[in-house]
Amino acid sequence: MKRWLCVMGMFLFPLSVFAKDQVLNIYAWPEYIPDFVIYQFEKETGIKINLSTYQNNESMYVKVRAVGKNSYDLLIPSSYLVDRMRQQDMLEKLDKNKLPGIVNLNRKFLFPAYDPTSEYSIPFLWGVTGIFVNTQDEALKTVTRWRDLWDKRFLNQLVLLDDSREIFSMTLISLGYPANDTNPAHIKAAFLKLRDLMQNVKVFSSDTIVSIMIDGDATVGVAWNGDTFKASEENKNVHFVFPQEGFVIWVDNFVMLKNAPHKEAAYQFLNFILRPDIAKAISLYTKYPTANLAGQKLLPDNIRNNPTVYPSDAVLKRGHFQQDISSDALALYEKYWEAIKMGA
Amino acid sequence: MKRDAGFKHFSLTVVWSWLFLFALLPFSLVVIASWLSHHADHFVSLPFTVDNYRALNNLIYLHIFERSFVVAGIATMGCLLLGYPFAYCLARIQGVRKAVLIMLIMIPFWTSSLIRSYALIAILKARGILNSVLLGLGVIHQPLSILFTHEAVIIGLIYNLLPFMVLPILTNVERLDNRLIDAARDLGANRLTVFRKIIIPLTMPGILAGCILVFLPAMTLFYISDILGGAKSILLGNLIQNQFLITQHWPLGSAMSVMLTAVLAVLIALYAWKTRGSKNREWMA
Amino acid sequence: MTQKSLAATAYLSLMYVFLYLPIIVLVLYSFNNAQYSLVWKGFTWDWYRALFENSSLWVATYHSLLLGAAAATVATGIGVLAAVSLYRYRFFGRQFLNGLIFILILSPEIVTGAALLILFTLICLPLGFLSLLISHITFCLPFVIVVAYSRLVSFDKNIFEAAKDLGASEGVIFGRIIFPLLWPALFSAWLLSFTLSLDDVIISYFVAGPEFQILPLQIYAMVRSGIKPEINALCSVLFFITLFFVLLSQLVLRKKA
Repeated sequence: MKRWLCVMGMFLFPLSVFAKDQVLNIYAWPEYIPDFVIYQFEKETGIKINLSTYQNNESMYVKVRAVGKNSYDLLIPSSYLVDRMRQQDMLEKLDKNKLPGIVNLNRKFLFPAYDPTSEYSIPFLWGVTGIFVNTQDEALKTVTRWRDLWDKRFLNQLVLLDDSREIFSMTLISLGYPANDTNPAHIKAAFLKLRDLMQNVKVFSSDTIVSIMIDGDATVGVAWNGDTFKASEENKNVHFVFPQEGFVIWVDNFVMLKNAPHKEAAYQFLNFILRPDIAKAISLYTKYPTANLAGQKLLPDNIRNNPTVYPSDAVLKRGHFQQDISSDALALYEKYWEAIKMGA
Repeated sequence: MKRDAGFKHFSLTVVWSWLFLFALLPFSLVVIASWLSHHADHFVSLPFTVDNYRALNNLIYLHIFERSFVVAGIATMGCLLLGYPFAYCLARIQGVRKAVLIMLIMIPFWTSSLIRSYALIAILKARGILNSVLLGLGVIHQPLSILFTHEAVIIGLIYNLLPFMVLPILTNVERLDNRLIDAARDLGANRLTVFRKIIIPLTMPGILAGCILVFLPAMTLFYISDILGGAKSILLGNLIQNQFLITQHWPLGSAMSVMLTAVLAVLIALYAWKTRGSKNREWMA
Repeated sequence: MTQKSLAATAYLSLMYVFLYLPIIVLVLYSFNNAQYSLVWKGFTWDWYRALFENSSLWVATYHSLLLGAAAATVATGIGVLAAVSLYRYRFFGRQFLNGLIFILILSPEIVTGAALLILFTLICLPLGFLSLLISHITFCLPFVIVVAYSRLVSFDKNIFEAAKDLGASEGVIFGRIIFPLLWPALFSAWLLSFTLSLDDVIISYFVAGPEFQILPLQIYAMVRSGIKPEINALCSVLFFITLFFVLLSQLVLRKKA
C-alpha cells in the first residue's frame, strides 16, 4: 500500500514540474498579504498565489517541519524562528543578485543577530512590545516603566499578552536582565517576580486585545505598538508607552524554504514585496511598521511621524531584538508559565 | 449460511479497515512516541525511555487534570439539565416540523464556534448587550462583571456543546412507548414516579451517549475557556498543545495524551463493572 | 394536556432564543461601524462590500461545504455499519473496537492532527482534499456510531428473530428493517458530523495542503489580527441562506404530506 502510494506520488510530481513557477505557495498571516496585493501580483506576473494561513508561529513551524518537502515556498516567521530554522538548515540561502529591491530596506534591520549575514531572511514588518494605557484614567499618565505594572492599585485590571516568552521577556527586562536570557537562575527570579503580578491580571489575550483596549475592558496592560495604534484610531484615549527599562523588538521576515518547489516565482514575489509602493500599501493596511525604508517614506505624514508606529532612533536604542533560545530554556519558561497560571 | 454472512463480512471489513488505518495506526504512533526521547531538532528520537511517564508525576499536572475534569463535568451537567427537557419536548412533536426544528438546532452551529464565542463576548462584556439592557431596564445599577470569570466559561461551554447532548437523547426519547407511561398512570403512579422509574431508565442509553459526546471532548477543549475566561488558567488541552507546539516535546505530549486516555478508560471500566448485570449496561455493547 | 404543551412550547422557545441570541448579535455586528470595537457604533454596509470583493473567502466556504457534506455522508455510512455490527454480531475484537472508538472521541485534537500528519507523510499521501476528507471522516465516525448505537439499543430484538425465521439474510435485515428504523438517528448523526467538519480547526490545520483552502482556517487566522466584521458578514450571509433553504424545505415537504 505504501509503495503504491509513493509511486502514485511520483507520477504526480513530474506534472507539478510542468506547472512549476505558474504557482506560488505562501504560508502567512492573512493580514500580511492583503487581497489587493495578491491580485496585483497575479495580474502583473500571471503567477497564481495559494495563500495558506496559520494563527501562530509555532503551529507553522511544526507543520512545515513535519511535512518536509514540496510544501510551501515562502513563509513569514518571526525573528526567533528564523534563527532556529536557519540553524536547522531549513532555509534557502538567498541570492542577493536576484533581489535588487533589498536596497529599499531599513539598514537597522539588516545583519541582525538572528541572521548575521542577512542571506536567509528579508525583514518585512516589525513591532515593539510595550505598555498601553487608557488615559481616560488620569492616574495612568504616570506609567512609564514595566515596574509600574506591579503597582497594587492595578489589582485585577491588567491585560497581558498570552505568550510565555513575551511576558517573561518583559519581566526579565524589568529585573535588568537581557530579554532572551537562558540563565536558569535569572529565569527563576523572573518567575518569582511574575507570580506577584498575577493578582493584577484581569485577562490574558493576544487575539482580542484591540477590542479590549478600545472598549475599556482593561485600561492598562502589555500590547504591541501596531495594535495600540489600531485601537487609538477608534478610541483617542489609548496611548502607547515605550518602557524606560527596555522592550522587545520583534521582526517578521520573509524566508524561502530550502526545498521550495517554485523558487523562481518566489524570487519574483520577494522583489514585488520589496517595492516601495507595495511596502507602503501593506504597512498602511496592516497598521504595522514596515522594515522597508523606501516604503516608509511614502506613507502619509500622520503615520510616518507617529511616534507610536515609528519611534525615534533614540527610543529604539532601548530595544532588544527577539532571538531564539535553547530548547532547555524554552522548557523552563513553559514549566514556570504553567505554574504561574495554575496559581502555584 | 455463507450468503447470509456476506453482509456481515462486508460490514466488518469496511469498519475494521478504516479504523485500523486511521485510528489504530495513528494512535500506535502516539503510544510509541510517548516512549521515545526528546530532541531539539527532531520531534522524537531514540532511545526509548520511561522518563516521560515519570515526568507526569507532577502536582501541577494533577491540578490541571482536576480542573479540566471539574469544568467538563459541570458543563456536562449543565447540558444535561438544559438538554434533556429540550429533547423531551422536541420528541413529542410530529412530522416534518420536528425535522425542521432539529435542523434549526444545528444551523447556529454551522457558524464558526469562534465567531459565536466572540458574539458571546459582545453580549457579556461590561459595556456589552446584556449589561446595557439590564442597566437600561433599571434591574441593576452597576454593570455585571461576567466576562473573564468561571461563569462565562461554563456558559460558553454549555452553549457550544448543547447539540451533542440534545440529539442523542432525542433519538432515544422518540422510541419511548407511550403505552408504558399510560399503563403506569393507570396503576396509580404519579408524574414523578413515572419519570423516575420508567422514563429515565428507558432513555438512559441516550443520556449516557449524550454525556459521553459532551464530557470527553470537553476534557480537552480549551479555546472557549481561553476566550471567555481570559486564559487565566491552564486546562489539559492547553497543556498538551503547548508540549506539541511550544516546547516541541512530542514524547511528553504523547505521554500525557495516552495517560489521559488510560485514566478515563479506567473510570469508564469501573462504572461498567459496577453496573454489570443491570439493564443499563446495554448501551455499552 | 394543553397546560403541558404550553409549558413545552414555552421551554422550547426559550431554548431556541438562547441558541440564536449570539447569532442575532453576530448579524447585528456585521453592520457595526467599527473595525475592532465590540460596542455598537453605528450602521454601515462596508463589511458586506468588502466581503463581496474577497473571493478567497467564498472559495474557502465552498470547499468547506463540499468537504463537510462528503465527510458526513461517508462517516454516516461507515458509522451505521459499525454500530449495527457492534449491536448484532459477535466477533473477535469487539471490545477492542469499542476501545478504538472511545480513543477517537477522547484524543485531544492536536494529538490526532499531528499523528495523522505523520501517518500521511509516511505513506506519501500529498496533503489536500483527500487528506482532509480522511481526517474528517475519522473524527466524525465515533459520533455517528454512538448516536446510532444508542438508538439501536431500544429495538425489540424479536423483530430480527422473526425475520431470520422467515429466511431473511443479514443484508435484507439491514436494508428492510434496521435502516428504516434507524433513519432518524442517521439524520441526526449526519447533521452532527457536518457540524463537526465545518468547524474543525486544529486537525484540519495539520492535514490541509496549500491548494485546498477551507473556511475555519481562514477565520481563525483572520481573527488573530482582531475580529473583522467581514467574517461576521460572511457568517450572516451563510446563516440566512441556510435558514432560507431549511424553511423552504419545510414548506415543500408540508405540501407533500
